[in-house]
Formats: sequence, structure tokens, C-alpha cells
Amino acid sequence: MFNEELKSLKRLGFRHVLLQVLNFASVIASGLMIWKGLGLITNSESPIVVVLSGSMEPAFYRGDLLFLTNPSSEQYRTGDITVYKIPGQDIPIVHRVLETHDLVQKKKDKRAGLPAQQLMLTKGDNNAVDDVDLYRGIDFLEKKHIIGKVRGFLPYVGYVTIAMNDFPQLKYALLGGLGLLALIQRE
Amino acid sequence: MAPRKSANNGPEPRTPSPSRIEGVSSTSSSPERPVGPLSIPVSAGDREDIKVNNSNLTELKNALDDALKRYLARPELFKQSHQHTDVRLALGWLSVFVAAGTALYGYKVPFGESKPLVWIGLITYVVLTAVQSLYAFFIEGNVIFVGRRKTFSKRIITERITISSKTERVKNSKPPSYSLSLHYVRSTSGGKSLLAKGKKLGSQGYNTFFDGVGTLNQDKFERWVGELVEEAMEGKAS
Repeated sequence: MFNEELKSLKRLGFRHVLLQVLNFASVIASGLMIWKGLGLITNSESPIVVVLSGSMEPAFYRGDLLFLTNPSSEQYRTGDITVYKIPGQDIPIVHRVLETHDLVQKKKDKRAGLPAQQLMLTKGDNNAVDDVDLYRGIDFLEKKHIIGKVRGFLPYVGYVTIAMNDFPQLKYALLGGLGLLALIQRE
Repeated sequence: MAPRKSANNGPEPRTPSPSRIEGVSSTSSSPERPVGPLSIPVSAGDREDIKVNNSNLTELKNALDDALKRYLARPELFKQSHQHTDVRLALGWLSVFVAAGTALYGYKVPFGESKPLVWIGLITYVVLTAVQSLYAFFIEGNVIFVGRRKTFSKRIITERITISSKTERVKNSKPPSYSLSLHYVRSTSGGKSLLAKGKKLGSQGYNTFFDGVGTLNQDKFERWVGELVEEAMEGKAS
């Protein structure tokens, strides 16, 4: 099946092979850069997340895609839906803010223009209890734990990511297929 | 001496003969004229069958571009300059490494601290990509072959040929065609004295060279290219 392509690759030489591999590599590179750029613009380490559990039903279901921003001047309020990560835990959690306590800001921080620190308590809409147990020791979330506030969402789209995590063969198959395509196609 | 035009279709070895050139009256430098591609035969052993998908215009153009490069880069003919390819490779791979490095750094270092360097990496990547695109658009353009040749007859003669190719799409009932634009310069004394300069345009439908299943008639294509190159080489000094 690949006989024709292998023959033509051998005939076209080393530079050509480098060019084809570059095609593939630069697609990946541009994807990475777009992701990093998005993260920098939204000031969030992961501006697009997938809902993994049903703890926010009926607002968000498993498989929804969420879009986050985290401007440094943001003051969170009760009712905001935030995505946070507890240090030491890998998985981000998306829950609603139940309580906020604005801390008194030191005068020098205020002069420096830094936003006031906050302590927050969250709870999933579909959960019976608030998140204190999830915090693993600390009593309130601080701003530094927050990845971002949800601004918008797309239903169902996140299932692709969930499928690729549950079946890693799918991920490798997709990557392998893309690689093969990029190496063989010429534009 | 073998006859110039033969009845059969096979590639026929032709020896470069001065009498052929003297027959043309207008060349000013006929005794010094270097050998053209038609005069150097292609041995049948060099040929591999080329078969492409003839519904795909990109594949058709690439096949002809590659055949042209192979034909003109043979020994005794032009030495291909890989500058455009090398620039694209250098800029491209550099931008890939910058992107990879930035992504790796952003992964290892916590988000807040990583921000300044990731900004730098991102801007560098965008600049490199922009330079690449500008180079390809303005400097490289449609060029597919840049070749030089130095021959030593009475003086050192330097030749430089630049060939661009374009696909012309289907128009009414005209089939898609392959259009070549050649630019040829022959000079001596390190480029200071111009001996000949030729510009040639040529266009043929893809169906002239490819048959119904997509096999390329390499001999026909090479003869067409060879004729265009030799006509460009005849160009008068301006």
C-alpha cells in the first residue's frame, strides 16, 4: 500500500523528507502555541476544560466544554462558577461559589494596585454538601487555587477528550494517522 | 552523426554537434555556447515509472516539478541551488524548537511564574512564522528550480537559470495546464560581462504529459522542457 510513497520518498531525497516531517511538526507546534497564547490572554493555565462529573447538573453535564478566563483583577461573587485545583490534586473541579470573604488589603498592596485577596467556599449544584472535604485540610479556597471563571460552554464536544482518555489507543491512532497523512501529502 | 529527428519514439542519444548551432544565424556567442539539456541523453536505466492521481492538480504539478528538477540537475547540466528550501527548513525547524521549548517550559514551571518566558517564546514563534511566510511569498514565489553552471571554454562562463511554475485551472473547455516561466542569464568575468539573457514562457495542458491512468510520459515532458531551456539559452545579450 505504501510502496509508491516509499519509492517516491527515496527518489526525492533527504531534504524532502525533512520538509515533510517539518510539515507535521509545525502543525503540532502551531497547536501548542495557540494553546499557550490562549492561556496567556485569558490568564488561565487551562482556558478550556471538560466537565468530568455530574456534580453541576442541570447546569453542566459530563462531556461539556467550558471556556474560562481569570483576569487578575477579578473579584469573585456568590453564584460565579469557578474551576479550581487543589495543590497536590491533578484534577480540576468545577463548582459554584457559595461564600466569599474579602480580606482587608494591606496599604502597600493597595498602592501597588494589587487586587484584594479573597477566601471562597464552593459547592456543586448537584451535591448535597459543600466542598470542604475536597479541600483536603484547608478551610477556604484562595484566588491562587482558581484556574478561572466559566464564561461560556459548548455541550457534548468534550466527549472526544473523555473518549481519548478512557481509550488511549484512540489517541495514538489519531496521532499516528495525522502523522502519516502529513508525511505523505504535499501541498 | 545520428539524425536529429528520429522516426521512433524512444530516447535517442544525440551527440552535441557544433553544426547544429551554426545553423542558427542569430546567436552571437555560438562557439562558446554551453551544452543544453537536450544534448545530454537520459539513459533508460535512470527512469522509474511515475504514476500519480490525475484528479489531484497538486500531485500533477508536483510530479512535473520533480521531473523537471531531476532532468535539469543531471551531471554536466545545472547545479541546483537549494537556498529557498534551506531557508524554509531552517526557519521552520527553528520555530518548531522554539514552540516545543516554550510548551515544555510552561508544562514544568507553575503558571504564574512561567508567564514572562512563555510570552517571549510565543512572540518569537510568531515572528519566525511571519518571516517564513513573507520569505515564501515575496522572495520564493512560484520558483521551483534555481540552477547555476560554470563552464570553462575560452573564459569562465557562468550561467544562472531560474524556473517558476504555475498551474492554470480549468477554464470552459480548456484543460488544466502547467505553465513554466524561465529566466536565463549567461555571463563571464565574474558576472560583469553579459553574454546572453533569455526569458521564456511555455504552457501545456497536463493531459499532454499524463495519460488516462496518470502515468507520466517522461520523455515527452523532458523534451518540452529541454526545448524551452535551449530557446532561453539562445537569448540575445541586451
